[in-house]
Amino acid sequence: MGEAVLYHGEPNGASLTVLAALAETGLDISCRPIELLAGARHHLPGLAEPIALDLGIEGEGPVLVIGGEAMTESVFLAQYLDELAGGCGLQPDDAYAHWDMLMWCRQITERLSPAAALLGNLASAQAAIAAIPADRFAALTGAIVSDDLRGRWQALHSGVVDPAQVADSEAKVDAAAQRCEDKLADGRDWLMGPFSIADLVTYSWLAGMESIRPAAFACRPLTRAWLARVAARPCVVTALSLATVSEPLRSWAPGPEINRWG
Amino acid sequence: MTDVTLYHWEPNANSGKPMLALMEKGVPFASHYIDMLQFDQHKPEYLAINPQGTIPAMTHRGAWGSRVLTESTAIMEYVNAAFPGPDLMPADAQDRWRVRWWMKFMDQWLGPSFSMIGWSVFVGPRVRERDPEELAAAIERIPLPERRAAWKKAISGEFSAEEMAESRRRVALGIARLEEELGKRDYVGSNAYSLADINIFNSTYSLPLSQPDLASKEKTPNIMRWLKRVYEREAVGKTWAMGKTDMAARYSLVMEGIV
Repeated sequence: MGEAVLYHGEPNGASLTVLAALAETGLDISCRPIELLAGARHHLPGLAEPIALDLGIEGEGPVLVIGGEAMTESVFLAQYLDELAGGCGLQPDDAYAHWDMLMWCRQITERLSPAAALLGNLASAQAAIAAIPADRFAALTGAIVSDDLRGRWQALHSGVVDPAQVADSEAKVDAAAQRCEDKLADGRDWLMGPFSIADLVTYSWLAGMESIRPAAFACRPLTRAWLARVAARPCVVTALSLATVSEPLRSWAPGPEINRWG
Repeated sequence: MTDVTLYHWEPNANSGKPMLALMEKGVPFASHYIDMLQFDQHKPEYLAINPQGTIPAMTHRGAWGSRVLTESTAIMEYVNAAFPGPDLMPADAQDRWRVRWWMKFMDQWLGPSFSMIGWSVFVGPRVRERDPEELAAAIERIPLPERRAAWKKAISGEFSAEEMAESRRRVALGIARLEEELGKRDYVGSNAYSLADINIFNSTYSLPLSQPDLASKEKTPNIMRWLKRVYEREAVGKTWAMGKTDMAARYSLVMEGIV
């Protein structure tokens, strides 16, 4: 393995998942905070193989650079770190349990994370993005290779809000909370039984929704208790301690796109 | 009696992924053909297997009873981990990350664009020939609201010019980046044949026929070399022989063009 550097935003969303996974593994990888809303993710030094950054699906997530290769997508980075550490317990060994975890994570990254990113950005990032002067915004978005990610920045800059998309996102957050509630109904502590990447990725996108969409949690005590348990895990405590703001769960940047079709 | 039953459509896109993975691993399986164009996947007998009405699905019987697995890429990962046979994931952790990255790129970014184009020129026109009332009833039986909306759009030919243009943009860009990738490594994401090749081959095997302006010996020599190498695998030949429509016939047409 060449020199490894993890570039990350505030510990929320995708960055939180990977920072917590790294803390769980105990691997010695250099972490460098970057200002996602300043477009810093699109000016990383020394990239020889940038495709995963250029065409990543997750939006403004963390980037692990190893040997000049940009590595993205938080669930896969968490898997990578777990495997690099020789298997530190973030993934089940059993094939069926592993399939179950992957299915859960895909539900979260395809449905919850685009919804949470939309609501989170509208609540806390849109004003900052809209305030970027036109010439600076053109330079910032001009450095973004992905047309569709650039489009999500531009939508926030324009200030146009689609009420149907907001309602759909709220419904998806509610549904994710209900999925957690259902999963936890048998008294288990963690979503898949043992603590796993599923807990990290779900917490990372759902925890910030407690302040934005409180109705999703009002009648779901098991989910609230589980959120508190995850927040107390040492790896999550460590990840959150890397915040440079007082409320990292309110830090958002343009995220994944909502499914275009089907 | 085999322990594995696969419910699948043609060896193409999502259905082809677990078919080929099982074949590569040498896992015997009972094949249960689901005719997507007849909406078999939304009929009660299939919904009893997979209530979401998506294909493919796989059942695996053992001491645990019977498991039902869904989502094509996740099924492939299960097949690779649960059965003996050649390992279809590379040993190196960074290669494994790259294999997963490419599979997600196909499943969530490029694949839906291939699919939108395919549905607008193939699935939609074929299905539209049917009785409108029968079609409306078939759409109503689709359990997932997103899939219901997707089918309605495909059947009615309601893709906008902007949506189609965006899909064509993504297909052109995806092919160009795949060409670059295959110039760096023998296979997708690593130097060994893996689940990423199975995944991406299932959506690109007919590119020389379907997108001749974008993929050809002259324009994409790396993709063509890779396609030939994958096409020549015994498991691919056996899997494509299971096709029942003229989609599978494209196999021989493409082979003639690239050998």
